[in-house]
Amino acid sequence: MPTIKQAEIEQALDAWVNHLLTVTVPQATGKLAIVGLISHGDVLARRLVQKLKEADIEAEYGALDITLYRDDLAITGIRPALHSSYLPFSPDDMTLVLVDDVCFTGRTARAAMDVIFEYGRPAKVELHCLADKGGRQLPIHPDYAAFKLDSEATDKVRVRLQEIDGKEDISY
Amino acid sequence: MTNTYITNATWALTGQKLDLRMGQSGDESTSIFLDDIPLYGVNGVTDAGEMKIPEGARVIDATGKLLLPALFDMHAKIEIPGCSKRESIYRTGQAAIQGGVWGMLVMPTKGFCFDNASTLDSFADAVTQRSAATMVPAGCITEGMEGNQQTPYNTLAARGVSILSDAENVTENILMLHRAMKYAAELGLTFAIRGDVPALTRNTFMHPGTTSYKLGLHGTPACAEEIGIETLIRLAQDAGAKLHIQTVSTAEGVAIIRRAKQAGMKNLTAEVALHHLLYTHESVGDYDTNFKTLPPLREQSDCDALLDGVKDGTIDCIVTDHTPCLPFAKKQDFVSAPQGMVALDTFLPAIYTQLVKPGKLKWAEVVQACCVRPTEIVMPYDQEEGTPMIAPLMLFDPTTEVAVSESIMNCGTLNTPLLGSTINGSVTLPIY
Amino acid sequence: MNPRKDLITIESLTDEDIRTILDSTSAMKEIFTKSVKKVPALKGKSVLTLFYEPSTRTRSSFEVAANRLSADVTTFTVSTSSVVKGESVHDTIDTLMSMKMDYIIVRHKHSGIPAVIARHCKAAVINAGDGAHAHPSQAFLDAFTIKEKYGDVAGKRVVIIGDILHSRVARSTSTILRRLGAEVAYMGPGPLVPQEKFTGIPRFTNWDQVFTWKPDVIYLLRVQNERMDTPFFPRGDYHQAFGVTEERLRRIDDLNLSIMHPGPVNRGVEICDAAMDYRNCLINNQVENGIAARMSILYHLTPQTQNND
Repeated sequence: MPTIKQAEIEQALDAWVNHLLTVTVPQATGKLAIVGLISHGDVLARRLVQKLKEADIEAEYGALDITLYRDDLAITGIRPALHSSYLPFSPDDMTLVLVDDVCFTGRTARAAMDVIFEYGRPAKVELHCLADKGGRQLPIHPDYAAFKLDSEATDKVRVRLQEIDGKEDISY
Repeated sequence: MTNTYITNATWALTGQKLDLRMGQSGDESTSIFLDDIPLYGVNGVTDAGEMKIPEGARVIDATGKLLLPALFDMHAKIEIPGCSKRESIYRTGQAAIQGGVWGMLVMPTKGFCFDNASTLDSFADAVTQRSAATMVPAGCITEGMEGNQQTPYNTLAARGVSILSDAENVTENILMLHRAMKYAAELGLTFAIRGDVPALTRNTFMHPGTTSYKLGLHGTPACAEEIGIETLIRLAQDAGAKLHIQTVSTAEGVAIIRRAKQAGMKNLTAEVALHHLLYTHESVGDYDTNFKTLPPLREQSDCDALLDGVKDGTIDCIVTDHTPCLPFAKKQDFVSAPQGMVALDTFLPAIYTQLVKPGKLKWAEVVQACCVRPTEIVMPYDQEEGTPMIAPLMLFDPTTEVAVSESIMNCGTLNTPLLGSTINGSVTLPIY
Repeated sequence: MNPRKDLITIESLTDEDIRTILDSTSAMKEIFTKSVKKVPALKGKSVLTLFYEPSTRTRSSFEVAANRLSADVTTFTVSTSSVVKGESVHDTIDTLMSMKMDYIIVRHKHSGIPAVIARHCKAAVINAGDGAHAHPSQAFLDAFTIKEKYGDVAGKRVVIIGDILHSRVARSTSTILRRLGAEVAYMGPGPLVPQEKFTGIPRFTNWDQVFTWKPDVIYLLRVQNERMDTPFFPRGDYHQAFGVTEERLRRIDDLNLSIMHPGPVNRGVEICDAAMDYRNCLINNQVENGIAARMSILYHLTPQTQNND
């Protein structure tokens, strides 16, 4: 099973911030917010906001739990635990960067956009992720992916982050 | 005339080994006494060693089996909801025989409302034709058991009624009851009534305690039964009537009856339903409607006091309080479900398994409470022969294990908590 | 949380079930802060409210909760004039089965009815109050309200005051609070407070005992005269003897205690007018939290209607 190690992830985060600074920020309309999808995406978002701050760029931090918007709730009958979303600002006229750990089918991103639009009407939304797995089922693609994984659609991708799992790696 | 010989039986009351020669009824000396208990259809008893069994005679080897008189149940309702009367009589008769019960006092119900001559006549006919067990009707105290107008006691008595009861209904009209007692006392009739004060027990569903609190069901206070018993005792004493207290359920109820008997009150008898000796209010658990009874199941201390009452003779009889309820009715919520359980099919095996085997009752006490005393109180009488009826003998095999399932229940319904459990013992009745 | 079909009593839940439903209640409450106060979690699911007893509050709270989860809500009107017997409940169950409802929210004056319906239905059945038995959704909203106010339920002391005997709220709320580590006491007129040996809960009959016990929360119950065929206590002096009078309110204020009530409030009976505006009066919080708690309950139950439709 291929593994991406902590050092590589750290390097990738720096490149990611560089992308934000050089591409996203110059093109942004209104204020910038980095909104992570619970769980793992929120951890990445917090790191990115911190790194942007070190580069003197102010960005709002937000976290979304999209569980209640999943399109498979009614079908599977599975009831995942709910987490509190944290969006202490109105997204009206802002540029939002949605951060997820893995981009796969595109369904999570779709649900996240549903949530965002129920809080307000952002001027612009981008989708960034740590790992792009491919195997899309919806016409939704990340604007930025730190890693592009070459894996079959059925492969399981596991992202572990220090803050949650006490370890940091990506295996697939 | 051929005789049947029973060899190697054990007389349940003493453990003595017996060999018996049993003749047909009508044979010379058809009854004998064993331990002062009159027995039906026994031709002669001899020691095992002495008896010579003629060639070709019918012999029943009763090794390992107990011999004892069959039981008389003083409190059974036989009406099966949704069944015809004849079907109810047939099924209940089958159930009784299986449970070791040769005869029973049938409580009046809506369908068997023994408040007039014609109902009694047609009932007697149907029993003769359909029932394997003897069924003695208890006449109603009041018309339609409504507690207002007395029934024609002379007419009922002339048809062999010796016990009057409105079954579970307790009148609030004490004046009517007092007058009824004065009238019926002259006829030698016995009033069989439950102790209750309806105003205190209306809209209550179980014994008040931890379970009733948890389930949010209003409690039936024990004092209602006790006040009721005191009231009945005083009325009967004043009226000079015979009184039989039905289904005592509380320790204090036993104490009240004991005091009255000790004070010399004659003509006072009492019964306990088997389930009140075995189960407590905790059995109700999570709204188990099979444990909804009238009066309700109470505390363990009440069970213990009732058992002591049976042992010292304060409580004369153990009864089934057999009450068929349709599965549909018992599947309702606890508040709506009817009260009562069926017990005839399993009566003797249940008594053996739950009371005799664990050493709580002796066989002699069982025979006293389930055969001798009920027969003395009810005085079943053979109208055609013009003679008192006495208990036949039965054999009981305590080693048999019986799984209580739908297939062994003859009584027409399944409202017994024993369903799905295993009990010990099987009955042979009649023996031949 | 393991899949669970029905919510009939608090007793039937595991500690994990209780924690999960409470935790999700905060997440549900956040939905109220959005401009669109609705999530698609139960889209396409059908919810039926079946109330054999009149109740505007609980019914509408459940209906709002179901709507905010995007479920379709149907109200089954049971004529309050017709005497409702057990048989008709069975008939109703047959009707409900053919309607293929996913969730049934039921209230009945007989203890034990929701359990009967739950046994015979594939739908998830939520007990919205049965007789004097249980009212679990109220218990959740009460526990959540206390948790929200104090950060934790454990270690808090709650005295429930009023007609305990007839109260399903007292039973369910005391159960959940004790499961969460709070201490509960009962106070009220003698005939209306069951004995401690039955309940396992300290029993007081006057306010002096209550204040000596040092409670954190004063939980008042509604005096339900409609349930009493024969009066349990003298008419007229309930407020003076057991209610929160203005004098007692000052003491409650001094001690910084909270006041709760499941509603609807009888002003001048359980509680004086001024107490409704008291800074630690949590009654309105209870109403708001009621919706969130009921959303969380709906979300966490799993009907068995899934595979058969």
